[in-house]
Amino acid sequence: MGRYVIRRLLQFIPTVLGTMFLLHYMTSLAIQFSGNPVRALFGDRTPPPALLQAITDRLGYGDPCLEQKGNPCFGLFLDRVSGVFLHFDFGINMRRQEVTDLVANAIPFTLKLLVIAIVFEAVVGIAAGVWAGLRGGSFADNLVKISTVFVISVPIFVLGVVVREFIGVKFGNILRDQEWVPDVIAYGFFSPGFKPDYPFASLLIPGMVLGAVALATTARLTRTSIMENIRADYVRTARAKGLANKRVIGVHTLRNSLIPVITYLGVDIGSAMAGAVVTESIFNVPGIGRLVTNAARTGEAPVIIGVVTMLVLVILLVNLLVDLLYAVLDPRIRYE
Amino acid sequence: MRGKFLKVAVAATATAMLATACGGGGDDSDDAGGGEAGGTLRVYATEPAFLLPSNANDEPSIYVIRQLYRGLVKYNAETSETEMDLAESIESDDKKLWTIKLKDGYTFDNGEPVNADSFIRSWNYAAYGPNAQNNAYFMKRIAGVDDVTAKDPDGDGPEEAPAPKAETMSGLKKVDDLTFTVELKAPFTGFPTTVGYSGFFPMAQACVDDIDACNETPIGNGPYKIDGEWEHEVEINLARSDTWKGEPGKPDAINYRIFADVDSGYAAFQAGELDVMYTLPPARFKDAKANYGDRLFEQPGDSFNYVGMPMYNENFQDKRIRQAFSLSIDRQSIVNAVFDGRYAPATGFVAPIFEGAREGVCTYCEKDLEKAKQLLAEAGGWKGGKLVLWANAGSGHEDWLQAVGDQVKAALGIDYELKVNLQFPEYLEKADNNQFTGPFRLGWGPDYPYLETYLSPLYTTGASSNNSTFSNTEFDNLIKQGDSADTIDEAITLYQQAEDILAEEMPVVPMFWRKEAAIYSENVDTFVWNQVAGADYGATSLK
Repeated sequence: MGRYVIRRLLQFIPTVLGTMFLLHYMTSLAIQFSGNPVRALFGDRTPPPALLQAITDRLGYGDPCLEQKGNPCFGLFLDRVSGVFLHFDFGINMRRQEVTDLVANAIPFTLKLLVIAIVFEAVVGIAAGVWAGLRGGSFADNLVKISTVFVISVPIFVLGVVVREFIGVKFGNILRDQEWVPDVIAYGFFSPGFKPDYPFASLLIPGMVLGAVALATTARLTRTSIMENIRADYVRTARAKGLANKRVIGVHTLRNSLIPVITYLGVDIGSAMAGAVVTESIFNVPGIGRLVTNAARTGEAPVIIGVVTMLVLVILLVNLLVDLLYAVLDPRIRYE
Repeated sequence: MRGKFLKVAVAATATAMLATACGGGGDDSDDAGGGEAGGTLRVYATEPAFLLPSNANDEPSIYVIRQLYRGLVKYNAETSETEMDLAESIESDDKKLWTIKLKDGYTFDNGEPVNADSFIRSWNYAAYGPNAQNNAYFMKRIAGVDDVTAKDPDGDGPEEAPAPKAETMSGLKKVDDLTFTVELKAPFTGFPTTVGYSGFFPMAQACVDDIDACNETPIGNGPYKIDGEWEHEVEINLARSDTWKGEPGKPDAINYRIFADVDSGYAAFQAGELDVMYTLPPARFKDAKANYGDRLFEQPGDSFNYVGMPMYNENFQDKRIRQAFSLSIDRQSIVNAVFDGRYAPATGFVAPIFEGAREGVCTYCEKDLEKAKQLLAEAGGWKGGKLVLWANAGSGHEDWLQAVGDQVKAALGIDYELKVNLQFPEYLEKADNNQFTGPFRLGWGPDYPYLETYLSPLYTTGASSNNSTFSNTEFDNLIKQGDSADTIDEAITLYQQAEDILAEEMPVVPMFWRKEAAIYSENVDTFVWNQVAGADYGATSLK
């Protein structure tokens, strides 16, 4: 087990370095081909060359290799890698704020959003899946099947905007007119976006939207998996030896059925982070997703490299955890 | 055993969720439920770049800075006239050496006096090259500004730029605590109007000593002070400052809610979470007009959109070609078709709301196909092949530029192609290096409410933003005479004559003026829009 973990951790190093280099190369190419992003700060006003040069150097875009098209800028890459790993220095953005500070400010919001999304999709998704799976072909099954297809086929940016406009604004406005509805519901939960006054309640709907697509997949995976396992020999054995139905379903069937679901949820943390880019912009959540979106728009190389590298680390760690969880769920899996 | 593990994990998560949920709800019990108790004005904002006068040159930053800081002069909300604010007087005999006297008794939030030093300090800090402040650009008229910026010996090369010759501008001299003199490089009658720009606001010594802290928690001298810290990407809260001696701000507090995109801001407005939005999402303009008709504020703005003529290209050197190009465009029809009426067609080179602006100066800005064809024929026809129309990518310029191309093609029979794939930085570099092969779209916003701001930076010979490379001795002379005129009125007459030359020479083809649109909620009693500075939150009162 310990050796397995160490081996996995060692594999992180080339993955992270490779990602960083790709990001570094792409952002450098973007600057080489589309020009110095600092010039765009001045817009229509042509800055004096000395001023432009001073600000370009200050913001870290002064390396001459950024003017040679196609140059991979190895020198700059080494500076960045040593900055990140030796000095924990991820560079600064166009507004001269440390990338580490930006991430530190943004991460609590994204974490909250992710926890809400994952809990929502795991609890509701698995429950719906079990409900449907145990009663194949019934009304419950069809209801789950149809509603999940509906959710899966709507892209998240459409779902997000529709929820914001109709639930947050229109329905919320009706509630806000009613005296009897508590403020935390009317002004918090049904706010059309994140609201600093209600830092948790106003994140619930964005979190649910973020989790919605994965919820549908989770429900369908659980349903299929349950249907398959319920006919397995060991379940029949369990029933035959007279175990209570609760125990047969809850311990024997469900636990084995959860293996694909857990894999999916683990992988989904990665895609939920990608989804957060959209959800956070729609619901104005000041998290990592919004940070990356803005950085990509303005071409802020240090922010993109820093934040995405951190995301890669998170996804690697989560995947490792998921692999370790298999051993917990399935006694046949052993890591040596 | 393992079954227990799962149960425990689920139970733990559930407890944690409940705990946070309670915590989240509990914090808000004292809140007035999103209401407006206590006179807090809640306004739409985007994340400011900086909260330092010397560094902030973008709209969202200036909206906050104008409430935190005050400068020598302010602008009248309705007439945009310059009025003394912290200055007692700004006078000069030769329009080159200006003596500025300050009113006594003003202080910064930390108790430091607002004196001559605070202005000299701020302007020097902004101009000093190694500080790399964005507003260094605005100090360009002050004598000695060239000595505080160093020229890089090899352009972008590896060699480090040497330290500048001087640390302070020789043109700024303190006379006594409340008096200082400013020597300009060349006479400029309009100098007093320029110093109302936020880049000229004063800074405290404590601010310059710890500039990063001052950016996060500004030490202002204005009617409001920051309440707490700048919560990046979330909100900025301002409270009324008790050290401010002037006319107090109307709301007790101003809450700037920061939005990443204007659509989510509009949703928050619809849900009653905001009192003022100084801008609208273009796609929701009609919706807003229908729903908030009487609370929608609309007025012609001052941001100028033009199509520049690359006069370094031989095909555009004949003014009749440029005139013909302009005559073949029907601006109103483009405004109606592409912008839903959110722009106003331009008939001159100076914003219509500016003092000295004249309607219809540009006689070639009205569509006249006969004349266009005739002028083109007189010029010997078009020899440039396919006309290339340039715009930067991703900002929605393609549509209207295509309409321009279609109209020119229909009128003059010149085939065109669009070159709209360059990103903004690269596009601007092309502009700086005079590399356009055809007409190009660019814009201009005023630096100060004085019509000179639309003329000399864009059209004088060798001016920084003269992207057409227009050069006309008579024009240059008129601008120079206007700069050193005895009175503003005289200056305006001279500038108008200069504008007449532009209307004849057409170095750029004026296209549109953007209209400003703002909405405010039912909680707002009187909404104040300053012609120069935009929505004035400090002057806006709540019911």
